[in-house]
Amino acid sequence: MNHGTVSPALLAQFEEIVGAKWMRRRPGELVAYDADALPGYHATPSLAVFPGTREETVRVVRALADARAPFVARGAGTGLSGGSLADGIVLLGLNRLTRIIEIDAANRIAHVEPGVVNAKLSRAVAPFGLHYAPDPSSQTVCTIGGNVAENAGGPHCLKYGVTLNHVAALDIVLPNGKPMRLGNPYGETDGYDLLGLFVGSEGCFGIATDVWVRLVPLPQAVRTLLADFPSVDAAARAVSRIIATGIIPAALEMMDNATIRAVEASIYAAGYPADAAAVLLCEVDGLLEGLQADVDTITDCCVASGARTVRVATTDEERARLWQGRKKAFGAMGRIAPSLVVQDAVVPRTRLPEILAEIASIGARHRVRVCNVFHAGDGNLHPNIPYDASDPDESERVHAAMSEIMNACIAEGGTITGEHGVGLDKLPYMDSLFDASSLAMMCAVRTAFDPERRANPGKVVPVHSCREWHGTRAARDSASLP
Amino acid sequence: MSSVSGVRRSASSRPVRGAELAPQIADAHAAGSPLRIVGGGTWLDAGRPVTADRAISTRATAGVVEYTPGDLVITVGGGTTLEEIGAVTREHNQWLALDPFGSDKGTIGATVATASSGPLASGAGRVRDLTLGVTVIASDGSAVRAGGHVVKNVAGFDLVRLATGAWGTLGVITEVSLRLHARPEVDETVGVVLDDDTAVALLDTLGSTGLTLLALELVSANVIGSVRPAGSGGGAWTLLARVSGNRDRARAQRAILEPLGTVVQFSNDIWRSVRDMDGPQSATFRVSDAPSRVLGTVRTVRAALSAASVTDAALCVTPSTGRVRVAVPYSDDDDAPIRSLVKSLRGVGASAVWERLPADCWAWVTPAATDPISLRIRDAYDPHHILNRGIFGPMGGHA
Repeated sequence: MNHGTVSPALLAQFEEIVGAKWMRRRPGELVAYDADALPGYHATPSLAVFPGTREETVRVVRALADARAPFVARGAGTGLSGGSLADGIVLLGLNRLTRIIEIDAANRIAHVEPGVVNAKLSRAVAPFGLHYAPDPSSQTVCTIGGNVAENAGGPHCLKYGVTLNHVAALDIVLPNGKPMRLGNPYGETDGYDLLGLFVGSEGCFGIATDVWVRLVPLPQAVRTLLADFPSVDAAARAVSRIIATGIIPAALEMMDNATIRAVEASIYAAGYPADAAAVLLCEVDGLLEGLQADVDTITDCCVASGARTVRVATTDEERARLWQGRKKAFGAMGRIAPSLVVQDAVVPRTRLPEILAEIASIGARHRVRVCNVFHAGDGNLHPNIPYDASDPDESERVHAAMSEIMNACIAEGGTITGEHGVGLDKLPYMDSLFDASSLAMMCAVRTAFDPERRANPGKVVPVHSCREWHGTRAARDSASLP
Repeated sequence: MSSVSGVRRSASSRPVRGAELAPQIADAHAAGSPLRIVGGGTWLDAGRPVTADRAISTRATAGVVEYTPGDLVITVGGGTTLEEIGAVTREHNQWLALDPFGSDKGTIGATVATASSGPLASGAGRVRDLTLGVTVIASDGSAVRAGGHVVKNVAGFDLVRLATGAWGTLGVITEVSLRLHARPEVDETVGVVLDDDTAVALLDTLGSTGLTLLALELVSANVIGSVRPAGSGGGAWTLLARVSGNRDRARAQRAILEPLGTVVQFSNDIWRSVRDMDGPQSATFRVSDAPSRVLGTVRTVRAALSAASVTDAALCVTPSTGRVRVAVPYSDDDDAPIRSLVKSLRGVGASAVWERLPADCWAWVTPAATDPISLRIRDAYDPHHILNRGIFGPMGGHA
């Protein structure tokens, strides 16, 4: 898709709204926005616009609507599915909207702009004994708006839930430029759960200009364990055993040997045993009373599953170091090869041993190195492949392996993405996961928000599955929208 | 999609649960003949002004579709009752932590459709938090499958959230996948009986503490009156807490309540009384505001009740969410106080939600889902609005 250049009239409008300083037009500038964190996909926007306020954002979207111009919203560009790529169309950058408007500590709600960085929010509310629970690995740079668009997860979502569970309300601007409130920061709303529908809609339903998120009290106490296993299979079985006890760990993460070696060879070395086939990083938190009993139970589960050692972090520094290795594992893999595919899929927890064996055999068959580092407690896999994207043969093998891994996860009763979104990367698998009538309904729902399909066009739902809805009453004139 | 391992098939290749209902629904759609969707039938007395030529029952879809206890996920037909799910999961020391108002005779389809969340929502999540996948039959008879049966899933637009709380207007729910929990080692209920002044003072602080228990509700004496344990005193309110986890943690949770008064042990059956506080015939509503303002919300509710000369309302206050749920009994020959109440609560704004009313009172309630986006979504699922027509209240041309 290439929509070419932006009309002089629209350019003049944008300049009037945001000022020339906050527009990028030259190819040399736009190259910074031609990719997200998914390697191998590049698309250059025709123009990048950076509104500085809610009002400017609404005006920019309205100008786009008047010109019937398609657009893509973008936060920090850390997405892993190609969702924020704008191919020859306008890119709307939201990372100037970084204000934390209100921290309502008594009600554990923060009202923020979409460009606020995830970790910065948690730091800002820490003095009140609170934190923002969803913690994607990119949390030091990714934005709350992007988290809302992708329904982002993270290690601690096992206990605390994903972004969906933490968004209380949104002010959005619809693709036609009209504002709308979804949800209610302080109470209930009747009617359809449009808020829940909007979270994870990958920029296809409009742009969130204001986000009210729920905050969670910092736990009274935390215990972090590292268990090392002689086989991936034993570690996977320990996961099921732990979950079956009824303990809901704050996080339960697995790293395989390839990941451990990458981490230990990097500046993020965490002291993981380099000869372990896999390690589990497990955290429990809450009231101090009862925490030791949970640690004992989890230790027993690991030992019974074949763990060689189980170590409990004794200091905050040790705990931070164990977590740094996990959170920076992707960065550590960056040392191995110039490109890294960070994949995302989910299987039922009990299928972890089988799927990990299957992934290993797929990797061997295609001669690619798969590093697994993932949210084991949720069954949310991240099979990552470091490779050289400039080598066509290797790229082809990587793509073939990824495709087989996705299909294997679907066959195990799983899904193609747990927290990274469909974007462009997962489009080819949507037909395997959903039948035609379900995909057609997704198209119809998108049309309800965006009859002209100008917001993030070509993403999430394959275009061919939408054909039968053309001209139906669901595609009414947008004039009747609020 | 053929299975690589030969063990499972992808959701889209499984037969559609409740496919036998599709022709009836499609015929009604073609004829423009409205249908009333019935599960356990427990919500039919909510008085909602549904107009229908016929009823369609989901009970034939009842039963377990798939349950692998190690996954802590169960997939059942929409017509399965909560009681039936409870019986199956109990065998594996697991449970579905949903306790909607009413009873376990209700179906999971109705629970999802009404998004009714009971006391457990504070600690275990609301319906929307535990529902992983939903299949609905849309009005043209097509099956729309959303979500899946894994605990994390962002593939495609989240139509599961739409089915949740749509009161059946976005298709007949024939299959639901749910997140289960392992039963905790300890799951007990304790309570503190409080007089009115103490309860009011407590509410002023309780909403802000961030205390998380499996359930914590402040209920008026008439909610649980007859089942109060002997020796627990005669206060106007009881603070009910569900303490859970391992023994040490449950003991610590109990200790948090001790400064508030004498902590009395209750049977977990007490929650049945809380869920059934509506009684045989009542008008029921809930009002929510910020947890820190929950005392103000209680005062607003009391003022409205008093203005309508209602003296026998049952109240259930959820400090963690700032929600006040109120059931007002009435008799058929005198629903004047209810009419007066509906009018006075209009001033409270959108946060007052009516659950049950005498049928003729719904006309005064601000209808839900009337914004253009919701109407377009409804048109996509059910262009002739044959499914539970009128259930959101009179909607002008869009009933």
